[in-house]
Amino acid sequence: MSLATIDLSRSFGDIAAVDRVSLTVPNGLLTGFVGGNGAGKTTTMRMITGVLAIHGGRVVWDGHDITAADRRRFGYMPEERGLYPKQRVLDQLIYLSQLSGMAAPAAKRSALELLERFGLADRAKDRVEKLSLGNQQRVQVIAAVMSSPIALILDEPFSGLDPDAVEAMASLLREHADRGVPVLFSSHQLDLVDRICDRLVIMARGRAVAQGTADELRSRYPVRHRLVLAHDAGWVRDLPGLRIIAIDGTTALLEIAESGAEQALLHQALARTQVLEFAPVIPPLSELYREVAA
Amino acid sequence: MTTADDVRSSPANAWLLVARREIMVKVTDRAFLIGTLVTVAIIIGVILAQALFAGRTQDVTLVTTPEAAQLGAVVQQVADADDDLKIILNEVADADAARAEITNEAANAWLHQDGEVWTLTTKSEPESSLESVVALVVRQQVLATNAADVGTSIEELEEGTTLATAFLEGDTERAELAAIVGFAFAFLFYIASLVFGITLANSVVEEKQSRVAEIIATAIPLRHLLMGKIVGNTVLAVSQLLLYAVVGLIGLAFTDYRDLVAEISGPVVWFIVFFLAGFTLLACLWAVAGSLASRTEDVQSTSVPLTMLVMAILFGALVLDGTWQTIGSFVPPLSAVIMPIRLLEGDATWWEGLVALALLILATLGTVRICERIYRRSLLQTGGQVSLRKAWAAEE
Repeated sequence: MSLATIDLSRSFGDIAAVDRVSLTVPNGLLTGFVGGNGAGKTTTMRMITGVLAIHGGRVVWDGHDITAADRRRFGYMPEERGLYPKQRVLDQLIYLSQLSGMAAPAAKRSALELLERFGLADRAKDRVEKLSLGNQQRVQVIAAVMSSPIALILDEPFSGLDPDAVEAMASLLREHADRGVPVLFSSHQLDLVDRICDRLVIMARGRAVAQGTADELRSRYPVRHRLVLAHDAGWVRDLPGLRIIAIDGTTALLEIAESGAEQALLHQALARTQVLEFAPVIPPLSELYREVAA
Repeated sequence: MTTADDVRSSPANAWLLVARREIMVKVTDRAFLIGTLVTVAIIIGVILAQALFAGRTQDVTLVTTPEAAQLGAVVQQVADADDDLKIILNEVADADAARAEITNEAANAWLHQDGEVWTLTTKSEPESSLESVVALVVRQQVLATNAADVGTSIEELEEGTTLATAFLEGDTERAELAAIVGFAFAFLFYIASLVFGITLANSVVEEKQSRVAEIIATAIPLRHLLMGKIVGNTVLAVSQLLLYAVVGLIGLAFTDYRDLVAEISGPVVWFIVFFLAGFTLLACLWAVAGSLASRTEDVQSTSVPLTMLVMAILFGALVLDGTWQTIGSFVPPLSAVIMPIRLLEGDATWWEGLVALALLILATLGTVRICERIYRRSLLQTGGQVSLRKAWAAEE
C-alpha cells in the first residue's frame, strides 16, 4: 500500500495551480511537502483527499485509482484552522471520530489519551473557541489522527506550534509512519522537514520539481569539499580535475571533477603547508531547495 | 492508540450522528431554550387571560323593600343561571332605608315600584348587566299578570313567535376560532421557517468557513451531512410546534372553547403533517443558501429569495381566498399552510388534503434531490459567493 499521484492537474480559470504532478508517499515514511506560497501544495493535498475536483491525472492508492471509501479512512487536516467553535473539545473529537466509524467509547478513550499527550487533558470540557490558536490546532491534529487513519494528509501541521508541541507532533507523526501508513505533511520550516522527514517532495510553480530522500536529493549534485590550510589557498586554483566554487584566504570550497584529483590535492597541500581540515560539505536543505526551486 | 478493531469504515448511520449533534447543540443552547419557554409562557398567558376575563363573575347587591322582595328573588334565580352575574339580595324595611343603602354604597341598586312603573335606582352609574336581567324578569312578570287578567297565558300569546336559526356555512364561533387557529399556525410556520432556516444556513456556512466541512467530507458522504442537518432541524422544529400545539389545546380545554378542542384536534394533526413536509422542503433550500455563501455575512444576500418565499407563504395564507385560495392550497410550498387552513375551515375534504399532501411530498423529494446536488457542489468551493448556476454546473 502506498499513496501516489500521476500527472495530477488542476487549474483555476487560466491559472494552472497544479501541473502534472506525480509524487509518491511510501508507506511507513514521513514525507515532507515543501514549496513556497502558491506552489500548489494545498491544492494537491485537497485533490488527494477528494475535497477538490481533479482536472487531470489520478490519485492512486494501493495500486488502484483511489475510491471514496479509501479516502474516508484518511486523516486530513486542512490548512485553515477551525472546528465547531461552540462545541466542547472532547464532544467534538468524539463526534468527528464517530463519523470516521469509531464507536463512542473507543473514540473517547483515544481522544482523552491524545489530549493528555498534548497537555490538553484539563481543557477537554472547554469550548473550542476558549482555546488559544495553538491549542485549537493541536485539537485539530488529534481529530485527524485519532481514528487510526490508513493515511495522513496534513496541511501545515507545525505552523504556530511552540517547540514542545513541535516535538510532540513530530513524534506523533513518526508513530503513525511506524504503524506503516504513508504520512504527507506540508511545511515552510525547511530545517524541521530536513530533521524529521524520511522523504521530500519539493513543489514550485505547480510542479513537483524534486523528490526523494534528502540523501537522494543531495546525490544529484556533486559532492563539495572544504579545504582549510594554514596558509593562503590561492594555488589550489591551478590544480587539474577540480572545480573551484570559492576561495577565501586559507579556505577553499571545491568539487572534485575527476576521481583521484583529491589525492593529488592533498599531496600538494601537505607538501606546501599544514592541512587543518578536508571534509565533504553536506548542503542544508534550504540550499538544495533554493537550487531546485529556482 | 486505538486498535484496528475499533475502526470501521464510514458508518451507515452517519446522518443520524449528524442529526443527533444538530439536536444536542440546539437543546443545550440557552437562547433556544429561553425562546421556547417564553413562547410557551405567552401561549399559557393568552389562554389564562382569556379564561380569567371570561370567567369573572360580577357581584351585585340588590336592595328591596318587602313588597318587591318576591320579584327580587326571581331576578336572583335568573341571574344564577348565568355565570357572569351573582346577585346578593338585601331586604330593608322601607324606601328611606333602601335609599340610604344606595347612598352609602352598601348596595348597588334598589328595585322598587314607582307608582305603576317598576324602577331600578342606582347611585349615579347604570348597572347594565343587572339592568338587562331585571328588565327581562319585570317584562315576564308583568306579561304573565296581564295575560292572566285577560284569561290567557304567556305561552299561548307567544305561540309561533320564536324564530329558529340555521347556518348554511357553519357557525360563526367555529369560523372565528378557525381563523384564529389558522393565523396562529401560519405565523408559527413563518417564524419556525425563518428562525430554524437562518440558523441552519448559518451552521452550514460555519462548517464551510471553518473547513470542518472538509474534514467531514473526507469521513462521510456530504449527502449524509446534509440529510443529518435537515432531519435534526426538522425534528427540532416539529417538536417545538407539537409542544406549542399541545400546550395550546390543553389550555383551550380550560376555557369556554373547551367544546371545540376535539373538533380542532383533527385539523391540528393536518397542520403538523403539512408542516413536516413543508419545513423539510424549506430546510433544504436554507442549507443551499448557506452553502452558496462563503462567510456568515454572505448568508443575508444568498437567502434573500428564500426570505421572500417564506413571506409569500405567510401572506398567501392570510390574504388568498375563494378560487385563489383553492389553487394555492394545492401548490407547494404554499399548500403547506393554506391546505390545513382550508381543512380547518371545513372548506376542503379529507381527500383534497391527501392530494395536496402528496403533491407537497413530491415537491419536497424533488427539492431534496436538487438541493443535495447544489449543496455537494458548492460546499467545498471556497473564495467568494458561489452562484447557483456555477454550483449546479460545477464538477465534484
